[in-house]
Amino acid sequence: MEEKGRLGIPRALMFYRYFPFWHTFFKRLGWKVMVSDGVRQKEKIVYFEDSCLPMKLLVTHAMQLKEKVDHLFIPRLVSIHRTYIMCPKFRGAPDIVRLAMAGGVSVIDETIDLRKGGISLLHSFLRIGERLGASRQESKKAFREAEQSFSQFQKGWTDRINRLPTRQLFETDIPTPHTKISPPLAGGDEGEGGPHRFYSPPPSPSPIKGGGKEIGAPLRVAFIGHPYNLFDIDINKDLPALTKSLGMEIITSDFLSEQEIDREVSDLSKEIYWSSGREIVGSLFHFLSGGVDGVVFLTSFKCGIDALLQEFIKRRLKVRGGSSIPLLILSLDEHTGREGLTTRLEAFRDVVEERKKMSNVKARTK
Amino acid sequence: MKVTFPHLGSMHIFCKAIAETAGIPYIVPPETSRKTLTLGVLHSNESICLPFKIILGNFIEALQMGADTIVMVGSGPPCRLGLYDLVQKVILEDMGLHYRWLTIPPRLTWQAIWKNHEETKELRKELSARNILLFPYGLWMGWKKMKACEALEQLAMKVRPLEIKRGETQKRLKKALSWVDEAKTRRTLEETIQKGKAFLQEMEQDRSRIPFKVAIVGELYTVMDPHINRGVEQKLGELGVEVTRTSWFSTHILRSLRKNKADQTSERIRFFEASKAYLGYDVGAECNVSVGEAILRSKEGYDGVVHLMPFACMPETTASGILTKVGKDWDIPILTLILDEQEIEGRIQTLLEAFVEMLEWKRRAA
Repeated sequence: MEEKGRLGIPRALMFYRYFPFWHTFFKRLGWKVMVSDGVRQKEKIVYFEDSCLPMKLLVTHAMQLKEKVDHLFIPRLVSIHRTYIMCPKFRGAPDIVRLAMAGGVSVIDETIDLRKGGISLLHSFLRIGERLGASRQESKKAFREAEQSFSQFQKGWTDRINRLPTRQLFETDIPTPHTKISPPLAGGDEGEGGPHRFYSPPPSPSPIKGGGKEIGAPLRVAFIGHPYNLFDIDINKDLPALTKSLGMEIITSDFLSEQEIDREVSDLSKEIYWSSGREIVGSLFHFLSGGVDGVVFLTSFKCGIDALLQEFIKRRLKVRGGSSIPLLILSLDEHTGREGLTTRLEAFRDVVEERKKMSNVKARTK
Repeated sequence: MKVTFPHLGSMHIFCKAIAETAGIPYIVPPETSRKTLTLGVLHSNESICLPFKIILGNFIEALQMGADTIVMVGSGPPCRLGLYDLVQKVILEDMGLHYRWLTIPPRLTWQAIWKNHEETKELRKELSARNILLFPYGLWMGWKKMKACEALEQLAMKVRPLEIKRGETQKRLKKALSWVDEAKTRRTLEETIQKGKAFLQEMEQDRSRIPFKVAIVGELYTVMDPHINRGVEQKLGELGVEVTRTSWFSTHILRSLRKNKADQTSERIRFFEASKAYLGYDVGAECNVSVGEAILRSKEGYDGVVHLMPFACMPETTASGILTKVGKDWDIPILTLILDEQEIEGRIQTLLEAFVEMLEWKRRAA
């Protein structure tokens, strides 16, 4: 199929969940999909509004693409769940980007609101297809393929997180390495001295020892937060790589089914109406009650949802008598330094390791 | 049973009126002070919005004074206000304070009425038949007092820029409001309103002055409560500015009762329509109204707009980004004040003085 033109997708916000879907859809319609690069230096961030870092990065990434593409794809994500909604900032995001760019490029800002029913996602994408001059049939076909490739992608997600460098997680042409998860080599899966290598692993990654004997399983740490906080290395300074190099294995809330999350939040006095907030609270309570060795909660400074729910989580844990699983809360913004994160993560690893040793000893003496 | 409610602006006056008329025991929290704020700040975190902290502070102080039942206005998505109760309940529980909670539903739906019924089941047992019989009268009295407070405040906004002795209006307004507060019957209330209005009118005024016209827009709690906004309304008035705002308790109550045809609400629909040039979707809370009001006020010949928002407020952050553009496009000075717990009263004074000076230059140049 000949190329119809270039379509830009900023590497920000929900890119970190839906890119495989969007990518397939637009590729099938014959558009060349351009994705912005990382930002890397905080001097490059465009401060159009005084929002949270992920929102500022959206504007920055859009600016990067402005000259290079015919259309920018910034959907107005009102709701990505049939009952729950997104953060209000997402509703104004396309408008903010449009104002920041002061014209010059067409922004595809189709509203995506799944509260309207099961097929509203298809309808939104049909409208997007229409704007790009595709027929209903073509759009429908592309949509089905996008759905398929997205579920395919999700299946390999665990392996991808633990086997690929964070930067390559969403490069859909890199196949998912299908190896059985074993303790990841310290820093082994970080490309050799690539441009993004801030961190050199400690000289001897200590194998986990418990009472003289080695514990087989690696430390499993749950990473909780908005997907962009977890996987955008401009926000988290490549915390996943750092975690892996410290000998920990990452799992995310993507592993949990909706029912599992619902179960955790069903007894709250009021429903949490943000889908992301719900997912965060539900998965935090889930993992803090077992199944992992530690939990890391990544938040953006100034994120309204995180700020409120963080307080809720802390207090509720306290009221309910706490959890024996270590919890690390990291608040990130553009001033966050990698050194600080390293120190905290190392200390966290020590705590997690110590706890595991203790519980192993206990289990043996029983 | 001792009922309590937030202090918010003049809200305590009519909440008190309802309880008093119906003969329900109540405790008015002490006037919002530095101590209230400190308590609120101590038990929340930095990115939670200021209204949350102040309301929490009010509740803590009231509970410590012996109140045991909290009545709080609810709200819905997408803003954080809708989850205040969820988080505040856990915080109070963690602090070891005992309370019962009653949320006034934001929208009258069957679910809301049912939930309210469930919540009040226990409470109703403690009420006498007299309380229940008098309750509708209490509501009516509360509504009347609220309208009275608003009428007096509106009058004060008009006469304040004309006052000769600085601070006189505020003194008189306080007195007039306290008369309203003390009125016990329908007749005395009517009398006090007339008396209060006359009391404000007969103040020494310089009628030769042509005050600047400035509209206050923004997040509703920050706009309505002088403790949260550090008396922006009064400060502007004393600098010779006639202030207008469209955000009143009655506006929001009428809106939630879906009385869209009432005058004030239709004005808000007008604002909402005007915002469509900049915002393609309802961002939530007051965001669209803030943007639309700024545009229309500029058309109506206002001299400036003051935009108030709590730090990290989600919808208003979007609004503030757009308002910078609106100010340029419509040639109207817009001052955004971001409020948090820091002691910035002096800074606000300086900012407002500079703002008014700017308005003066603009007037002279025209």
